[in-house]
Amino acid sequence: MPVIAHPMTGEQKNQLGYYVYGIAESVAARQLDVSSFPAAIEDNAKLAWVTANDLAALASEVPLELYGEEGLAEHLTDATWTAVRAMRHETVVEYVAKRASVVPLRFGTIYLERSSIERMLNEKGRELAQIIERLRGREEWGVNVYWDRATLMASITEVSPRLRELARQAEAASPGQAYLMQKKIETLRVDEARTALNEIIDGLEQTLSDHADEGKRLRILKVEATEHGELKGKFAFLVKRSQFEEFRAAAERLAEENAAAGVRLELTGPWPAYNFSAETGLQS
Amino acid sequence: MSFEQIIVSGNSDSLEESELSLLETLDHVLNRGLVIAGEITIAVADIDLIFIGLNVMLSSVETAQEVLRNRQAKTE
Repeated sequence: MPVIAHPMTGEQKNQLGYYVYGIAESVAARQLDVSSFPAAIEDNAKLAWVTANDLAALASEVPLELYGEEGLAEHLTDATWTAVRAMRHETVVEYVAKRASVVPLRFGTIYLERSSIERMLNEKGRELAQIIERLRGREEWGVNVYWDRATLMASITEVSPRLRELARQAEAASPGQAYLMQKKIETLRVDEARTALNEIIDGLEQTLSDHADEGKRLRILKVEATEHGELKGKFAFLVKRSQFEEFRAAAERLAEENAAAGVRLELTGPWPAYNFSAETGLQS
Repeated sequence: MSFEQIIVSGNSDSLEESELSLLETLDHVLNRGLVIAGEITIAVADIDLIFIGLNVMLSSVETAQEVLRNRQAKTE
């Protein structure tokens, strides 16, 4: 018999796997007719609920030629391919999240067998049910904080209490002293701007967290200048639908308060609760 | 006012807004969220690289437009 170097690759031809989008309660899933759902991640595939006890995973069949380990690694380097799939994934998860409490999965969770999904639902049922409960009636909102260096530096003497006090003293001082104090103010400006920016961002996080169930500071993967300035903070908040107007009003107040310091807020959402779905033991 | 709200799930009229939504969406879908150990899952480290790569590549307007057209075609 010839030796086959990659037996899986040969077997995966024309074979199908299951791409999983998210998990809801089966009682909620029964109310949602999959025939009215947005398109699945691949053409010609139907979405279906895979149910085990009280839970249901939303899944669709995918060719393992594309979604097997090798195929996926290869296609993910194609920006357009990946962006289109990520968008379809999001569109489906958003649709469900608007209608039921759902644990959203990230792009790229694939099972080879339908029975493996059922097993996962059984084994992790308790944790999943807890997350579903915690997310009920809530949405994730993103807050991006940008800062404009020039504006903050120009306004720092007003923003920083320390510099304001020094400037006040300089005005009252003799010309010689005033000159030295002005020098000191100049050298302190950069440090004070950094401190002020961090304080503003900590304050934003605190205030917005007070209007949300939970708040999280997210990693900034890539710092780049945009027309809004430079991204300095990225947050996710889990907000009750019934409290969103308060949350939004708080964000608007913060935006107004900090505009003079060159700090700009951007609110995005509502998102499926991607950042509030992890529970100890579930993260692989 | 220096406050902007982008309702990602709504229909964006301008490409500029859509483009931003697209990158935000990729950031959420690719980079965050619960991974339940499937039989095949993308490793977290790879995802970061993929997102950064996409972020760079999608800054070209043509690609973004194409992706959005594809998205619309799929959701209609």
